[in-house]
Amino acid sequence: MDQEHQRAIAVIAHIDHGKSTLSDRLLQLTGTVGDRDMRAQYLDRMDLERERGITIKAAAVRMNYKANDGEIYQINLIDTPGHVDFGYEVSRSLAACDGVLLLVDAAQGIEAQTLTNLYLAVDAGLEVIPILNKIDLPAAQPEKYAQELAQLIGCGPEDVHQISAKTGQGVPELLEAIVERVPPPKGEPDAPLRALVFDSVYDAYRGVIAYLRVVDGRIKSREEIAFIATGVEVEADEIGIMAPDPTPMPELETGEVGYLISGIKEVRLAKVGDTVTTRNNRDADPLPGYREPKPMVFAGIYPVEGDDFPLLRDALDKLQLNDAALVYEPESSTALGFGFRCGFLGLLHMEIVRERLEREFDLSLIATAPSVGYEIELTSGQRIEVHNPTDMPDPSQIEDVYEPFVDVLVVTPTDYTGTVMQLCQGRRGDLQAMNYLSPERVEIHYKMPLGEIIFDFFDQLKSKTKGYASLDYEPAGMQPSKLVRVDVLLNAQPVDAFSTIVHRDKAYDYGKTMTERLRKLIPRQLFDVPIQAAIGSRIISRETVKAKRKDVTAKCYGGDVTRKRKLLERQKEGKRRMKQIGTVEVPQTAFIEALRVDSDGASS
Amino acid sequence: MTVAFAPSSSRSGEWSAEPGFGVYVHIPFCRHRCHYCDFNTYEGLDALFAPYVDALVTDIERWDGEPSPATSVFFGGGTPTLLAPEQLGRVLAAVTERTGIVPEAEITIEVNPETVDETTFTALLEAGFNRFSIGVQSLAPHVLEGLGRTHSAGRALEALAAARRAGASDLNADLIYGSPWERPGDWARSLEGVIDAAADHVSAYALTLEEGTPLHTLVATGRVPDVDGDVQADRHAVADGYLRAAGFERYETSNWAQPGRASRHNVLYWSGGNYAGFGAGAHAHVDGRRWWSERLPRDFISAVEQGVTTEAGFERLDDSQRGPEALMLGLRLKSGVDLSALERSYGEGFLAEREPVIERLVGAGLLERSGSWLRLAEQSTMLANDIICRLL
Repeated sequence: MDQEHQRAIAVIAHIDHGKSTLSDRLLQLTGTVGDRDMRAQYLDRMDLERERGITIKAAAVRMNYKANDGEIYQINLIDTPGHVDFGYEVSRSLAACDGVLLLVDAAQGIEAQTLTNLYLAVDAGLEVIPILNKIDLPAAQPEKYAQELAQLIGCGPEDVHQISAKTGQGVPELLEAIVERVPPPKGEPDAPLRALVFDSVYDAYRGVIAYLRVVDGRIKSREEIAFIATGVEVEADEIGIMAPDPTPMPELETGEVGYLISGIKEVRLAKVGDTVTTRNNRDADPLPGYREPKPMVFAGIYPVEGDDFPLLRDALDKLQLNDAALVYEPESSTALGFGFRCGFLGLLHMEIVRERLEREFDLSLIATAPSVGYEIELTSGQRIEVHNPTDMPDPSQIEDVYEPFVDVLVVTPTDYTGTVMQLCQGRRGDLQAMNYLSPERVEIHYKMPLGEIIFDFFDQLKSKTKGYASLDYEPAGMQPSKLVRVDVLLNAQPVDAFSTIVHRDKAYDYGKTMTERLRKLIPRQLFDVPIQAAIGSRIISRETVKAKRKDVTAKCYGGDVTRKRKLLERQKEGKRRMKQIGTVEVPQTAFIEALRVDSDGASS
Repeated sequence: MTVAFAPSSSRSGEWSAEPGFGVYVHIPFCRHRCHYCDFNTYEGLDALFAPYVDALVTDIERWDGEPSPATSVFFGGGTPTLLAPEQLGRVLAAVTERTGIVPEAEITIEVNPETVDETTFTALLEAGFNRFSIGVQSLAPHVLEGLGRTHSAGRALEALAAARRAGASDLNADLIYGSPWERPGDWARSLEGVIDAAADHVSAYALTLEEGTPLHTLVATGRVPDVDGDVQADRHAVADGYLRAAGFERYETSNWAQPGRASRHNVLYWSGGNYAGFGAGAHAHVDGRRWWSERLPRDFISAVEQGVTTEAGFERLDDSQRGPEALMLGLRLKSGVDLSALERSYGEGFLAEREPVIERLVGAGLLERSGSWLRLAEQSTMLANDIICRLL
């Protein structure tokens, strides 16, 4: 279709503010999906997404809309991932758009993550259409939040659309606004092909499906193409559009949005942000903004049953086919056996991967405490990266330790301003800015070490603000910090799974928490077991599990030796299942319990 | 039998190298079940006393095992002395008839203090019993009450004295220590009491909370404090101190005896000996085959009446299982086990396989070794399970 009649938009919204419902309504009102075929949240594909109410993988769908001016417009709706860990993917989705729908719950107002994405959209120069959803709810306060949105984006409160995606109220007017206000694409139809990959998913039958927007030129089926960043050259087996079901097309024109299937089997070969061009044009300038996915959070993942290690490896291999951001390498731990050190975009990403491993591959796993990636400058002048606390060199060899910082944005009711500041300050936060969205709500910007928020910061924030505050963060570079590694020793033997890197001021608290926890978790043995926390050779905390003194059956009643033998065989089996740390027998559950992060957790 | 055991002497003659053959008879009746008890015993089955005795006698008569003269017989319960001495005598006579009994055999019966007086003891001696195991448990009234015993401390001491008066030469006092109600002084006084009453054998058992017992429920629901293993370890040491001072010697985890008074039947169990078992839920063992009878008295009786076997289950152990079992049992004895004898009986490599673990435990002072004999160190007595399960 000619560019004048094309519109490409994305919806930015907080979880549960109604993005999927609005998408459903747009599909229905444009006749893209028949009323009878409509099922809730049409565009969310994975079970996991539906259960969590979030969208992990974006989809793009084409709608043909007959506007009041009588013309047919092609509206491409590009879905965006809805969580902090996928900020880069959001930015690529936005780069494929010309306008955004800023969708906010009329009973809750804008949340931190939406605000971040809004700033991204404004920075990208996109037309922003502000919308308050759920105005049919009794708790809706459309006037109040219209004011808030108007102030944020610099328009009048009357310019804020008030809709109910559920009932469809206000949605026809919204469709008109999309046509009127979102500009058409500005690409060069006659230039060589350049298409932006804004999403990439793996399908067991078709291989990788790359979603792209044609920025310049056109892409044809059976054409020889190249991915500029990865250098992969393939034939475009099939190109098509989602309407919303996949529909093959002979070609996609400038400005159009669609999919590409090319026999590629791993998403890391067709990455989000890459530029697709024709093979003979492979030296073309790539579209701006491509970035390698960079893992921010690391954790060791181990099978509870050591025999499951090969299964875990196969499972990770399979997951990586459709998760370009997941990285892993084998590691072994004296405490936990063989497993993998995995890198994730963030905590949610980690949680999703772990949940999928357990659910889809039926594995039972133990994860070590998450850590961030550190850069260490050695006294020799060499600089190394450390993703596992046990790899941290001896303090005497360390010149400086750098840790990743993030810009944290919290949006909270003003009642909790003090609470939020206290929490952030306690996590080595540095206040950057405060901005009142309205007399009742404020956005607070902090710079903080990522390591401080990966434990239980989000849970703490939620519980201390009764669930009202929302959080977003984005990477803000590396900075030197006074960090030390705290080791935990059982009977003088370090337990690698419990080593962690913390700020010097918090080392004592961590040590004390862990030794106290372990004293309760480690069963009494035949001898006293000292539990120590140490920085290098300096002991900072100590507890003792006293030797047990009685473990004997009183008698063998009436000659029932069978019962006694079974009892001892069970006890023997119990011992066999324990992990041996030096001479200390530690039940598996002690590791799981000790590594559990909770409110009296290791980071508090 | 190849498993050696603590050399000791019998009440009359020498019995050293061979543990002999035992007979266990179970009497599954009680007037009142104690709060801690999970034994196979029942209240209110008085009507079954006579049919049960008949069934026992018939079952013994029908036993088709290889007869071997019994070196020890043990009537346990329940409360055997709920039955009349004549009834008990009939059963013992049936045993004598079926298996034979060696002249110097140890013939024990468990006695609950509240069920006996001097004439009972006289009658039981007459019937052929020569050793009484008296259920004293404690001499502290509040402990007896907590345990659910229905006799007084005085009655228990009286039973010991009555047995002596009747002419009994072998007397065991059963004691329980480490109950939640027991104060340190209570335990010392109980030990002194049974020593003064001239018991020549003391079985002192740490109170164990068995699932399904009223005491277990009371503790689980927080109405009674839990037993404390550390306290029990202390009490065991106190018992050893008192009894040793009075001339007793500990020969098994929970058993002390004056020289020559170790219970032969008890030692038989721990040395892997052979024994027949008669009565509801009774266990038996011959050469690696272990079996047990119908648990419920009614089922036991009706099996006998219908002329079918009373056996309810069995297991047959091969040498690879018998070796570890012999270790498990033998290490309970103060004398320990003869490893080379075990290896001869249960196969090459039995010792080699365990050598590294044994070495480590000996090094840690938890096991002791002299020649081919292995035993628990004195300080490990109360840790036997933890140590033994490493050797299985």
